[in-house]
Amino acid sequence: MLFTHIRRVLFPALLIFLLGGQAAQANDKLTLLLDWFINPDHAPLFVAQEQGYFAAHGLEVEMIAPADPNDPPKLVAAGKADIALSYQPQLHVQVAAGLPLTRFGTLIATPLNTLLVLEDGPVKSIADLKGRKVGYSIGGFEDALLRAMLARHGLTLDDITLVNVNFSLSPALLAGQVDAVIGAYRNFELNQLAIEGYKGRAFYVEEEGVPSYDELILVANPDHMDRAVLRRFLDALEDGVRYLVNHPDESWELFIRGRAELDDELNRLAWRDTLARFALRPAALDRARYARFAQFMQDQGLIEKALAVEDYATVLE
Amino acid sequence: MMSILRSLIIIACLVLVWQIIIWLSNVPHFILPAPARVAEAWWVHHATILGHAGVTLLEIALGLLFGALLGALSALALAYFRPARRWLLPVLVASQAIPVFALAPILVLWLGYGIASKVAMATLIIYFPVATSFYDGLRRTEPGWTDLARTMGASRWTLLTRIRVPAALPALASGLRVATAVAPIGAVVGEWVGASAGLGYLMLHANGRVQIDLMFAALLTLAFFAVIIYFIVDTGLRRALPWQPDKLPTEQEE
Amino acid sequence: MTNNHHQPSDNPASKNSRADKNSCAGISLAAVSLRYEGKYLFKELQLDLPQGQCSALLGPSGVGKSSLLRLIAGLQPFEPSGRVIIGKNQAQLPGHLSAEIAYMAQQDLLLPWLNALDNVTLGARLRRQRPDHARARDLLRQVGLADYERALPATLSGGMRQRVALARTLMEDRPIILMDEPFSALDAITRLRLQELAAKLLRGRTILLVTHDPLEALRISQRIFIMSGRPARLSEATLPEGETPRDPADTALLAHHAELLRHLRAADDDSAFGAQQ
Repeated sequence: MLFTHIRRVLFPALLIFLLGGQAAQANDKLTLLLDWFINPDHAPLFVAQEQGYFAAHGLEVEMIAPADPNDPPKLVAAGKADIALSYQPQLHVQVAAGLPLTRFGTLIATPLNTLLVLEDGPVKSIADLKGRKVGYSIGGFEDALLRAMLARHGLTLDDITLVNVNFSLSPALLAGQVDAVIGAYRNFELNQLAIEGYKGRAFYVEEEGVPSYDELILVANPDHMDRAVLRRFLDALEDGVRYLVNHPDESWELFIRGRAELDDELNRLAWRDTLARFALRPAALDRARYARFAQFMQDQGLIEKALAVEDYATVLE
Repeated sequence: MMSILRSLIIIACLVLVWQIIIWLSNVPHFILPAPARVAEAWWVHHATILGHAGVTLLEIALGLLFGALLGALSALALAYFRPARRWLLPVLVASQAIPVFALAPILVLWLGYGIASKVAMATLIIYFPVATSFYDGLRRTEPGWTDLARTMGASRWTLLTRIRVPAALPALASGLRVATAVAPIGAVVGEWVGASAGLGYLMLHANGRVQIDLMFAALLTLAFFAVIIYFIVDTGLRRALPWQPDKLPTEQEE
Repeated sequence: MTNNHHQPSDNPASKNSRADKNSCAGISLAAVSLRYEGKYLFKELQLDLPQGQCSALLGPSGVGKSSLLRLIAGLQPFEPSGRVIIGKNQAQLPGHLSAEIAYMAQQDLLLPWLNALDNVTLGARLRRQRPDHARARDLLRQVGLADYERALPATLSGGMRQRVALARTLMEDRPIILMDEPFSALDAITRLRLQELAAKLLRGRTILLVTHDPLEALRISQRIFIMSGRPARLSEATLPEGETPRDPADTALLAHHAELLRHLRAADDDSAFGAQQ
């Protein structure tokens, strides 16, 4: 009698336990929207993917490359994706505009933006920009960055002519249509010029009066985010960064595995130049640094009021 | 007056549908803002918007002028010179298959970042519908007329200028209507590739700064002007071709 | 082809017209062959049309009446072994347009962007000559459209448009007129009126009239040819007496009409089961 009773209860319980255990072991799915087409700035993500670090943390991450960098944060804010790669300056503006976003991790911990000129060109210092043409892409902040950089040399935006060249920064510079470009990435456009046989000269924005900021960050929707799952994501990402730093050459092979179209000279050079810039501790947050940049944006008139850091950045425990 | 009232009613209905979509689908304001927000943005920034609108309108006007001229001349060349047909026609068709974002940077390289490259872009987009419609019209001349003209002793040139061209004018008009509808697209695409002024530029800029209300305000302004331009061109064409019956036949009178 | 001899004509209406100047303006076809999709439409066709008379060409559809007309007009090339002779001295080469011919089709072929007067003077404008507006106005008056010279074709009825076409044909002032079912698209009464008008105004010129209406042929022609078979052959039919336009209610004419219909039925059967070449 007792045996039958145990059987009737124990077996289903055992079954539920086993199945439930299986469910717990099934991977959590995450959609991650990259900021742009796949490029070496995304290295740790792909290393983590290829080395199985996401799977090891019980995650299945789908990475999607958009055509318009403005879209991913909007989609995450609208609840259509879990994670977006975005830019810290953008984040300040987006949150001020009412998008429900929060930064929970950092991918690239230094600015990549530069003011780029040709080494042999007429511009030897920023003061030489007076009366010259500067090309930019529409992103929204180039004029603010320029204003800060020019101010240090006693110039204003009226002393230069801004020309929107959209994404053709290097071609416009090489063709002589502009004397300098802003929005050029130090790991990309500099190498692009080198490949064409030209020496470029970069003025690093954070050395010229702009407070330091994170170029690439990870954002999520604070109302929808699963903090535990995203913490695991960051753990896997940190594993990826670690492997990348320790084994850069093997990492390159992982990056181009199955993506032969990425194996070109520009990417190889960019890879080498980006290695030192990845956030070694993706989850870490320097509050004062974020607050300082928010204040900079307010001073430049890009946002009305610098919000409290808690309103747009979070640390996952 | 009735037509103006009708237009106002249509606009009001569209705005209502827009608002209903927002209520029903809960789409966030940074993807599709409500009409009220867009109206407010328009009011606050109307000087900027209208300034940029002027630039885009100029690009559209010049694009229409050059595109229509080039298109009409190409069609005439194709109709009159037989070798032109064999060599030029495939090129003409291929030119339309090339996606604009591939051509635009080349134009910008040659013509700079000023208004010239935008006008060139618009011209390219307008050129094809005008050329093909007019060419089609020239090809399809009523055979009875060509027979009659030949028996009357008309030369090839006289046949072209006195009969085939006037007979093809309705087809040209159709092409021009299509061209007018796509002209704004041409101008805006040109601006996206690299511009410092114009509604396309303004939309991109607003998008980058997450000023979605302003982006939509610029977008609607563009749409409004596109409709006005179409209306003007359509009326002009109808006046220019008074002999072309505009209404569907209800009864033929004998 | 100007000829300064002023030949006397028995018709006062054609005084001062070129029909007098070149009274040898008949049409002759000798050994004319035309192929259509490999089969012969006509093979070594022989035809003589007397000058100054109206000859009608009847036959079932598809037999090649319009092709024959276009061939004579110079719009349709035919095999080089054949000859089309217009007037005594002019031999027409295949596809060569003659200056002696005016062409009037089933559609009025009025240019919709020109008013009636400009349509009548179309020939002069196409030849880069100065149009004779006075004469054009007079012709419009003769066809009964004096008040309509500024009217656009879209505002005119079918009958009125065909009358403008008739005025245009007269304006060309050619000795030979080729007409391809010019009145078939009109209603019965308008058709009768236009037949009378055409008969009156075109008197004295050499006319080849293609028609599918035997009554029309009987009313206004002086000779009737029936075309049948493939390759087509021509046979002549008899005609009643009298000046054209003949009265449609005349019993003799109606008898001829019945006879003609029988002839045409036979020709149609002939074409349907005729020898294929």
